Amino acid sequence: MFRSFISWRYLFARRTNLIGMVGILVAVAALILILSIMTGFLAESRKVVRGALSDVLIQPAWFAEAPPAEPLLDATVRDARVRGCTAELVWGGVITQRGRSSVRGFSSPTSANPFVVQLIGVDVQSVERFIHPVVRATLGNFGGTLPRRRLADAFTATDFLQALAGTAQGPCAAPVKSPLFPFVPPRAHTGRGLPKPAIVVGDQLFDRLNMRVGETLQVATVVQDPETGDAQVNNQNYVVAGSFRSGENEMDRTRIYLARSDLSDLLGGTRQFTQVLLRLKDYDEYSAPLVADLRLSLAERGLIRGGEWGLSEVRTWEEFNQNLLGAIENERVLMAIMLSLVLVVAGFTIFAILSMMVTEKRRDIGILRALGATPRGILDLFLLIAFWDALLGTIMGAVVGTWAALRIDPIERALSDAFGVQIFNRDVYMFDHIPAIVEPSSVALIVIGAFCCALLFAAVPAWRAARLDPLTALRYE
Amino acid sequence: MSSTITSAHGSDTAGEALRGGAPTPATDPVLRAHQVRRSFSMGSRSLEILHGIDLTLHAGELVALVGASGAGKSTLLHILGVLDRPDDGKLEVGGRDVWSLSTNERARLRNLEIGFVFQFYHLLPELNAVENTLLPAMIELSWLEYQRAKKKLRARAVDMLVHFGLADRLEHRPGELSGGERQRVAMARALLQNPKILLADEPTGNLDSSTGETVLELLFEEQRRRQLAMILVTHDSRLADRCGRVLMMEDGIVQADSAHPVPD
Repeated sequence: MFRSFISWRYLFARRTNLIGMVGILVAVAALILILSIMTGFLAESRKVVRGALSDVLIQPAWFAEAPPAEPLLDATVRDARVRGCTAELVWGGVITQRGRSSVRGFSSPTSANPFVVQLIGVDVQSVERFIHPVVRATLGNFGGTLPRRRLADAFTATDFLQALAGTAQGPCAAPVKSPLFPFVPPRAHTGRGLPKPAIVVGDQLFDRLNMRVGETLQVATVVQDPETGDAQVNNQNYVVAGSFRSGENEMDRTRIYLARSDLSDLLGGTRQFTQVLLRLKDYDEYSAPLVADLRLSLAERGLIRGGEWGLSEVRTWEEFNQNLLGAIENERVLMAIMLSLVLVVAGFTIFAILSMMVTEKRRDIGILRALGATPRGILDLFLLIAFWDALLGTIMGAVVGTWAALRIDPIERALSDAFGVQIFNRDVYMFDHIPAIVEPSSVALIVIGAFCCALLFAAVPAWRAARLDPLTALRYE
Repeated sequence: MSSTITSAHGSDTAGEALRGGAPTPATDPVLRAHQVRRSFSMGSRSLEILHGIDLTLHAGELVALVGASGAGKSTLLHILGVLDRPDDGKLEVGGRDVWSLSTNERARLRNLEIGFVFQFYHLLPELNAVENTLLPAMIELSWLEYQRAKKKLRARAVDMLVHFGLADRLEHRPGELSGGERQRVAMARALLQNPKILLADEPTGNLDSSTGETVLELLFEEQRRRQLAMILVTHDSRLADRCGRVLMMEDGIVQADSAHPVPD
């Protein structure tokens, strides 16, 4: 009985114990916060790395001719494991704004040139190929009833619909009128001669260049002349239909979406598509076997070249970014090792405080031994002090850490305002917010780790206390 | 030293009752030490403090242990209290050889059979008077056992403290008590488990004479009432005079043992 009673009494009678408790609290809270942010960063990084790659990516080898995407789409969509698929045409380009000195941007070699963009041609208005009931319901949420014979594949296979529905945040960003019909030009541009093709611009690019809906942009790109093989510059005027926001800086800063057929026109019909994106019903279960099956079946049909070039043309998005994902995972392991040192520091705090306490309480130990306490009882007494420290510290730390992780954005803003320093510069990261994901298993692991660490470090001074000669302890002044 | 013994013998005017009763050889001894030796190493050489002490103590016996500083009184008291292990010899408490017991059994023996009263009280500063008194019971019992017996134990501790004149000091911590009050709390703690043996190491050595007298009266009264075998280490010859038996120690041996009542 005396163990719990006296340990509890010592805990609050000696303020140094509270320092230990606060040490554990801070360590646990910091660990949870950092690990949650790290997990959030990794998840977001994976998302960014994945970009619009969907689950599986088919990139046929470079054909001299420009084959249509339909045979490839037909071949893949029949597979029951595929939820949706779409063809995409990705190309680089340069934009210029009429009447403005946009070429000035090219004179700065140090900063990212806002006029170099990535053009993404997608299908959103062709024949319906596949609509899953869940997809239909999702689409219904954005635009009421789904039009018949409408292709949902682009939306199903990519996150484009979510990006279109994202709330534009910039001072002049303008969401598209309807996410289901993103490339409809503003009313002022309809019925005035030949309609210009419409584009949807990332909201950061939209803001940066002070665009407005209805503005005409000239897009120029370079293609290879199919006859001579020489590079030639093509350009075309487009009308800005609105902006989208994915929340990922890189995409929102550089991407321009437009109908695949319009982009193909810009390329002079030299390319119909560059890749086919597949969204699977269950990525974890189906990705590996499906990729293997597709490599075989598509090669048999002559739609891809198979493995003869060494690099497969059918890959999961993870295989596509193998090196980068490997680096991220490596970083995660390194981070976990480094972070575990925080627990060791907390353990050392307990060790120092308890060692001090054993020295301070030598006479008490002698008294307790004289009154009949066993060495084991003394050991337990000091271990219990560490136990209470760890229990209260970890519980409070877990609460504080979880709360801080869930509210990290407002906390960061408040701190930035208070100190006049921008703690998280949203321009230099890939995200416009601090991502944080609290994983209950990680929290549990940290709490258990802190507990074990505290008890492990407490064992040494507790053992020392138990071994004290009662007479020496009694004589201690 | 010899004057102390003479004085102890010569001033035995209060009679048997006041001296804590005569030894009762008919009963089994509660404590027996046989040829107890203890030495301490001082660097490379060994310094022998006790040179083969023999001592038998019966229930109800009040023994004064006197001698000059360094004579080995405290060392002997610690060995008799099972706090220190002799290098040689045997110590029996209640007929059991204590050093053949396990560490836990020895601890239990200290808890139940032996009460200590120290010169410097040795109370835990974080605990109040009642809690300090209850400490031996807390050490003895498990959490569950203690919770079950808590009311009864507390009532017993409070009764003892009230009997010792501490009715209005029950919730006070040692830092808020005077020296005499602290020593009375220490006495209540020593007596809580109804031990058979009480070892007091200069219990009034840190008190003024008036307070010391009050504490002693209470101590002797409890010794008589409970028929405790008590050893009192003291420098005070007048105090030794009031004990039924006086052991005079010198250079690690018992020079004189007034094992028999001294005639007036």
